[in-house]
Amino acid sequence: MSAILLIAVPLLAAFISILFKKYAHYILVFVSFASVFALEYMDLGTITVGGFNAPFGIVLILDDYSLIALYIVNTLFFLVAILNCNEFKKVGSIMLVALAGLNGLLLTGDLFNLFVFLEVAGIAAYLITTTNKKPLATFNYLIQGTVGSSLYLLGLILLYAMFGTLNMADMASSIASSGYGAGVTAFPFLLMFIGFGVEAKLLPFNSWTKGILANSNRLTGPMIASVYAAAIGFVFGRLLTNVFVIEDTFLIIVTIILIFSVVAGEAMAYASTKVREILLYSSVAQAALVVVVFMSGFTGWAVYLIIGNAAAKLVLFLITNTATKQLGNDDVETFKGLFVNNKIIGLSFTAVTLSVIGLPMFLGFVTKMNILENMFVSGDYIWPAIILITSVVEGIYFIRLLLNLWYKENDLPEVKFEFVLKYVVVIIALLIMVFGVYTEPVQESADDLVAYSYIEGGNL
Amino acid sequence: MKNFLAFIAVLVLGYMIVVSLDNNEAFPAYGEADVSSRVSQAFIDRTVTEDPGDIIFGQATNLESGPANIVTAIVADYRSFDTLGEVTVLFVSSLGVALLLGGKKQKRLELNFHPNFMLRVGSRALFGIILMTGVYIAIHGHLTPGGGFPGGAMIASSMLLLYLADDEFRAKIKGFKMLESFAGTAYVLIGLTGLLLGGYFLENLLDNGVIGDLFSAGIIPIVYVLIGLKVGSEISGIIDNFLTEEGV
Amino acid sequence: MLQYAAIAMLMLGLYGLLTQRNIIKIIVSINILEIGLNLFIVSVGYVEGGIAPILTSDFNNNGLVFVDPLPSALVLTAIVIGVGTTALGLALAKNIYQKYGTFEIDEMGEE
Repeated sequence: MSAILLIAVPLLAAFISILFKKYAHYILVFVSFASVFALEYMDLGTITVGGFNAPFGIVLILDDYSLIALYIVNTLFFLVAILNCNEFKKVGSIMLVALAGLNGLLLTGDLFNLFVFLEVAGIAAYLITTTNKKPLATFNYLIQGTVGSSLYLLGLILLYAMFGTLNMADMASSIASSGYGAGVTAFPFLLMFIGFGVEAKLLPFNSWTKGILANSNRLTGPMIASVYAAAIGFVFGRLLTNVFVIEDTFLIIVTIILIFSVVAGEAMAYASTKVREILLYSSVAQAALVVVVFMSGFTGWAVYLIIGNAAAKLVLFLITNTATKQLGNDDVETFKGLFVNNKIIGLSFTAVTLSVIGLPMFLGFVTKMNILENMFVSGDYIWPAIILITSVVEGIYFIRLLLNLWYKENDLPEVKFEFVLKYVVVIIALLIMVFGVYTEPVQESADDLVAYSYIEGGNL
Repeated sequence: MKNFLAFIAVLVLGYMIVVSLDNNEAFPAYGEADVSSRVSQAFIDRTVTEDPGDIIFGQATNLESGPANIVTAIVADYRSFDTLGEVTVLFVSSLGVALLLGGKKQKRLELNFHPNFMLRVGSRALFGIILMTGVYIAIHGHLTPGGGFPGGAMIASSMLLLYLADDEFRAKIKGFKMLESFAGTAYVLIGLTGLLLGGYFLENLLDNGVIGDLFSAGIIPIVYVLIGLKVGSEISGIIDNFLTEEGV
Repeated sequence: MLQYAAIAMLMLGLYGLLTQRNIIKIIVSINILEIGLNLFIVSVGYVEGGIAPILTSDFNNNGLVFVDPLPSALVLTAIVIGVGTTALGLALAKNIYQKYGTFEIDEMGEE
């Protein structure tokens, strides 16, 4: 099966679904399930659109890297869709477009096509966040997202003016063979980096995040913090490893941005008293960490970091937003003792949180350990130090949060979690624990993934 | 004070961009772009799949891409997938406008004036002309500047004229929805047909004809008419959403 | 020269985004920014003495000097995407106005 169907079929379904508004959410669940299922039958390789070869036409790239990305994003998307399809019927068609946009982002091998899909997925995201009923926050998101993608486009056009191509692999090889120094490409890459930084929630380009995620509901929280974060992380990874040349001054600027993002993210999470704010600032720090790992060249481990994070944020935001809806607000005070009567949910929440901190027996530990080890081996001591310190901070605020959620004598908050949600949450937590103990497949596949690369001319 | 700081910051940033572009040895100065070193040269010569030799207007046949308008060749053929994405952007934003502004019962927003007889009749007469111009532009997109997007925008502007000139007027939104859905579905289906029969999504399966003829360039005029219809109905839908409000 | 004008426009839009606190003015600013960007994209494809990349009976072969057609095609896409975001921004503005009764962000109270 051609991977283009992953984009074409959701689009087709979206176009048809506006005539059958009442059934749009059923179509959504069906299509998102079908795309997870169909991934099994996709042929790896380069897919040419319209019969024009790279670098002239647009190509989609399905390699091991994008296949993993598609599995993760489509599975998470399906989970979010099935848990929310009844509550948010109105956004069914929009979610279908979002699915097409995310799959397009992950598959495309063309820099301008990437911009188009960034906008498709972005506009769908703005619309999904309108279900928060905070139009001002959505407006902020819209403006910042548009400025971000405009900066990306400006950088891209500068690159086109210099190297005359839009294809990712062709661009990379043109830059390498042109003989110009890194100074020539630093400015356009900086623009593109900032543009993506807006979407990827890197500080200081992320002031939209608070308005969106601190007011999120069961749909928008998992959608933005988990599905979109994973997709943007994967795309960023592809750009960082295959296209961007990060050297000299540019490297210093990027490093400062990232250090600031990790440290400030963790610090703000530490200072927050609302559950959702803690989670959102922690995901800001994690997003920056993903970029760091990609930049250091440990693609496989960056992928596991993204997976661990996306799964964790899905669970955490689902539980938090379900509870928030029933309790009225998300102050830690209100949440006190939440898990006393909801032991299963509480255990999953705890397992996932401990994995994010990186304690042994969980997937997060395997990832963090290997990243640190690899960094030490390659002679980098600054980042391991920062990661270790921030992990301690992370540990403090998360364990403080967990203690609050587990212990209270009387006057417990009443929250009901439905059956499907429990199921999903428990399975994800179990998976995180299983792969935290049985680490061999993780180790092997991560080492394999490092090796991927293009062949010249944009073909796989 | 804040404005002044912003002004200085923007000025410095702009100056830095200009200087960094001026000092950039790889960046061509204005007017000195070397097209032959870019991928565009292959689009002008139509040499992506095979070399057809010289292309003469009105004579060359069976090119890999048939439009006389090279920009159209790129938009609707070489990079048609981008255009599908672009159509989707417009589609989802019209859906979004309907989601944000649409309610159950809707009536027209009241205008500040009541249009008289002359205005109503005159605008109806103009409506037809603008509509036909829009359709013409959409159909001739592969030969002249224009195409589905400007044509569609023009079709929508004729609807806007009716909305502004008559405070009672409301178009049949249901019809727009059908048209929008039909045009989008047809676009994707044309792409899937290409995948099924030719092996490539959105492949141009029809005969390209003689370059410069109205009936040439294979699927491109069809795609552009579909895009024109879709853009026209989407923007008309957006106009309707903005000019109505909840009420009986 | 056109490139400098385009960059000036981009910066003008950015200045508007940094200083304005009115929803409608912000939308106008972002449109100015986008138009500046589009102008810049087109300017990148300009060739001295080049003609519009359309074959006609007067300019009838591919050996002529054309301006680069690809940036024009990209601008078409960028314009349409700009229209989409602007429509959405205006719809949100209408929603915001319904909720707060004002377009001034400072008058809406803490959000």
